[in-house]
Amino acid sequence: MRERLFSSRTVDEPSRIERAFYHVALIVACIALVTPFLYVISASLKESTSLFEYPPKLVPFPPYFGHYERLVSDSPFPRWMANTLFVATIVTVAKVFLDSLAGYAFAKLNFVGRNAFFLLMVAMLLVPYGAIILPLYAVVHAIGIHDTYFALILPPLCNPLGVFLMRQVISMLPKDLDNAARLDGVSEFGIYRRIILPLIKPSLVVVAVITFTEMFMSFIWPLVAVRDQDLQVLTVGVASMRNMTSVNFGLWSAAAVLGMVPLALAFFLFQRQFQARSIAGALKQ
Amino acid sequence: MADHRRLRRRWVLQRNLTGWAFVAPVGFFFVLFLLIPVLGVFWWSTQSGRLLGGNEFVGLDNFGRILTSIEASGALRTTVLFALFSVPAIIVIAMVLGMSLARVKRGATVYRFMVYFPVLVPPIVIGLIWVFLTHADFGLFNVVLRAVGAEPVNWLSTTNALPVVAAADIWRSVGYWAIFFLAAFLGLPRELYEAAHLDGANTIRRFWYVTLPGIRNILLLAVLMATIWALQVFEIVLVLTRGGPGTATRTAVYYVWWYVFGDGQVGLGAAISVLLLVVILAMSLAVVRLIRVRQA
Repeated sequence: MRERLFSSRTVDEPSRIERAFYHVALIVACIALVTPFLYVISASLKESTSLFEYPPKLVPFPPYFGHYERLVSDSPFPRWMANTLFVATIVTVAKVFLDSLAGYAFAKLNFVGRNAFFLLMVAMLLVPYGAIILPLYAVVHAIGIHDTYFALILPPLCNPLGVFLMRQVISMLPKDLDNAARLDGVSEFGIYRRIILPLIKPSLVVVAVITFTEMFMSFIWPLVAVRDQDLQVLTVGVASMRNMTSVNFGLWSAAAVLGMVPLALAFFLFQRQFQARSIAGALKQ
Repeated sequence: MADHRRLRRRWVLQRNLTGWAFVAPVGFFFVLFLLIPVLGVFWWSTQSGRLLGGNEFVGLDNFGRILTSIEASGALRTTVLFALFSVPAIIVIAMVLGMSLARVKRGATVYRFMVYFPVLVPPIVIGLIWVFLTHADFGLFNVVLRAVGAEPVNWLSTTNALPVVAAADIWRSVGYWAIFFLAAFLGLPRELYEAAHLDGANTIRRFWYVTLPGIRNILLLAVLMATIWALQVFEIVLVLTRGGPGTATRTAVYYVWWYVFGDGQVGLGAAISVLLLVVILAMSLAVVRLIRVRQA
């Protein structure tokens, strides 16, 4: 992608005015996109009372860390964060394993009902969570896992997107690879484990990034799935801070800032895979 | 001969078992937590009564009630209006940004990071950030207005709330689609541009005659996905306006949640969910058809 961007553009070089336009558009967009974050960070470093001062201090000096201290030492926030990271990590690991397993079978094995079942999964690709929370809650209630970690971890495993992506990637690998191994007497699981998995590592990371991000952000299902205060995840907890007797805006802004940290960190580590997240949609064609 | 057949049968059986063994783990969760709930929502849309027990079959009454209930039809209208506000703006802005990202060299990495950043923020936190932008007293918008000597505005009033919620959604989504379009633009064959350039086509013509047809399918897909996501807007509404003032920003998913888990009116909630599913399915099929027609 990058090579393409920077390679020879001798014939098709944008003119000076054109390039100026692109820069102006990007700078305007960046200012509009970044300023609100800075404003919230600034608000989180002020005492709640000085938030209402006019004119506002845009750069609070000296910064006040009281909200962060209270959030970390005297609020359920650390518990929310731990729950989110715990649930998201388990789901991500499980998804990467299960999706690649199924993707391998859909791409390389032949069995009765394969195409029908795959089509069924693809057809459900776009079903929104918001539309099925009610029966999903009934199912979870019926098997008795409501108000447990299982209610947060098991239902998200149903998402067919990872299976779909894995099948696309694995079916692009040459047939001779697995056929040769099969002739050598390697079991199907051995082929999956020792030949396919090492070859699709980059795509596994993409699926992991997609799953983790989605889990970190998910809200409506955790909201209805658990009532127990000890099981609340970050998003639900932060939203519930509004319902507390009086909204403490300072505390709230600090929670917002800390809530952004994990994914921002992950983004620095896996930049390329994150952008592939945007592009994964295009694969669906 | 018979031996051979028996062997073959065993081989086929084993092949099927192996295949299903690989698919079964995901398949199990898929059926239990996605397929059954989707069927369940259709079943529930024909029921009256509460979430756990006490149901009665009422046929299509719930769908009739959507039309007669001011609240339910209002929620649908709000959702459609929201999508009409947000989707075109998202697509146009994202295309301009994606195009720009594809064409600049200096600072490309920094731009990309900043454009993408809001995408990494949970929608709940986006709603919260917008509380700090729209608050009457200390919100950034009014701070700016006061600084330039203008009257502060009530950003979350009955008339303003929905456009403001849409603006928050646009603000959050453009980065995602900008990177998406960036990838699409970079995937176009450069020879076409060189040919167009040699033919003396200017930038606007090149965009109209080369770029746009080249990304037609991807554009259709983006419009479809952005619309589907817009129809599900929930978190931003919950944090920013709680569906209010009054019912001004009560969207379909908000309404389903509020009705089912607050009010216990399961049937009506399910009927709205079915409507949502059917609309999404119809739009998806239409887009798939449009894409196929072009390829054939």
